[in-house]
Amino acid sequence: MLTSLHIEGNSLLHRLSVRAKLIALVASSIGLFLSGSLAVQAIAFVIAAALYLSVGLSPKEALKRVGFVFLTIFFLAAVNLFYLSVAEVATLTLRLMALVTFAAAVTATTTISAFMDEITILLLPLERLGWLKAADVSLALGLVLRFVPDIFARYQAIREAHRARGLPVRPLTIIGPLIILTLKDADTIAAAIDTRGFRRQ
Amino acid sequence: MDIRFTDCAVRFGERVALQPLTLTLNEKRIGIIGLNGSGKTTFARLINGLVKPSTGSVTVNGLDTVKDDRAVLSEAGFIFQNPQHQLIMPVVAEDIAFGLKNRGLSRDEIDRRMQAALSRFGIEHLARRRVHELSGGETQLVAMASVVVTDPKILILDEPTNQLDLKNRRRVAGAIDDLPEDTVVITHDLALVENVERLLLFHEGRLAFDGNPQGAIHRYHEIAGC
Repeated sequence: MLTSLHIEGNSLLHRLSVRAKLIALVASSIGLFLSGSLAVQAIAFVIAAALYLSVGLSPKEALKRVGFVFLTIFFLAAVNLFYLSVAEVATLTLRLMALVTFAAAVTATTTISAFMDEITILLLPLERLGWLKAADVSLALGLVLRFVPDIFARYQAIREAHRARGLPVRPLTIIGPLIILTLKDADTIAAAIDTRGFRRQ
Repeated sequence: MDIRFTDCAVRFGERVALQPLTLTLNEKRIGIIGLNGSGKTTFARLINGLVKPSTGSVTVNGLDTVKDDRAVLSEAGFIFQNPQHQLIMPVVAEDIAFGLKNRGLSRDEIDRRMQAALSRFGIEHLARRRVHELSGGETQLVAMASVVVTDPKILILDEPTNQLDLKNRRRVAGAIDDLPEDTVVITHDLALVENVERLLLFHEGRLAFDGNPQGAIHRYHEIAGC
């Protein structure tokens, strides 16, 4: 998540524009899915890993950030071994790992603000067509990323409150109050956005 | 400041949050106190148009909070009771720059104003920090910086020292004292308003006292029964 994964630095990816990185990410995704070559996927993974490790993260932290997604990919690979050849599974696995690693590298080198600005620019043609308001869409995206830690903290607080009162902790009993409290906060956040003049013009 | 309430009342459904009220505020430092649910936050929210009057009108420096609502938001900045709610961006510097977006300013100008706001509160070192990692006092100072960066003439602070420890309370209180903007402070922290020019006391949706801090605080103790 961009909220907590951006790191300061001066690597090649840090210096590249957000647009160039997003275009490279989309182009490499299409390219890797069009290619069925194991060698191409392997080379792509090595390049992505090299880029990822160049952004200034320690190997341990770098692995921690993508570890859960890699585990999911390995699980998927294990399931696929029942249906596909080893070479096909290896191709599929390396493709996903390459893309996840590259995306993690882009995430680590892009601030949410820069990302929002780029999304706003990219959506301007749709705004001119009257389909949407580009700044509002990028703001919504930014808000999701900004408030994920807050929602998670609230989830933990509700869970602890259940425990403190000796109540069983069940997802269904937590989700109700979580949604209500989050919506209540949303009212204040909307008011704050207005008072801070984001939609003043 | 020149804030005028003319026969202004607020109802939320059947509940009367604020009884009809006519008064003018033009002091530089104004405080508002009262028990929970007394109408003080509703009163403060009327000033920048977050709450619209059910009857009557409110004008801020000549601007009507209903007709000129966007302009009033520029005139009066609001710092919320839970400042975490008003920090929109994940990183402090980005959040302070947030209010300057969509104003046609160059990136250099946004950076210059953002740096000025940070240095004004002595929080330059927090620029790259993530907002959900800030302490209570730091959050309050960042929230204040994020509002003053847009140059409002009036600042409304809703319980700014709420839930702060003694050290952070002192830091935030000092920052409020130093604000060059006109301020309206809503608080339960009586020490914060003991030197304001005018202190308003609300009770059960009515203005129960309007005058000097000593008189208002004395009356507040009587109402609270302590």
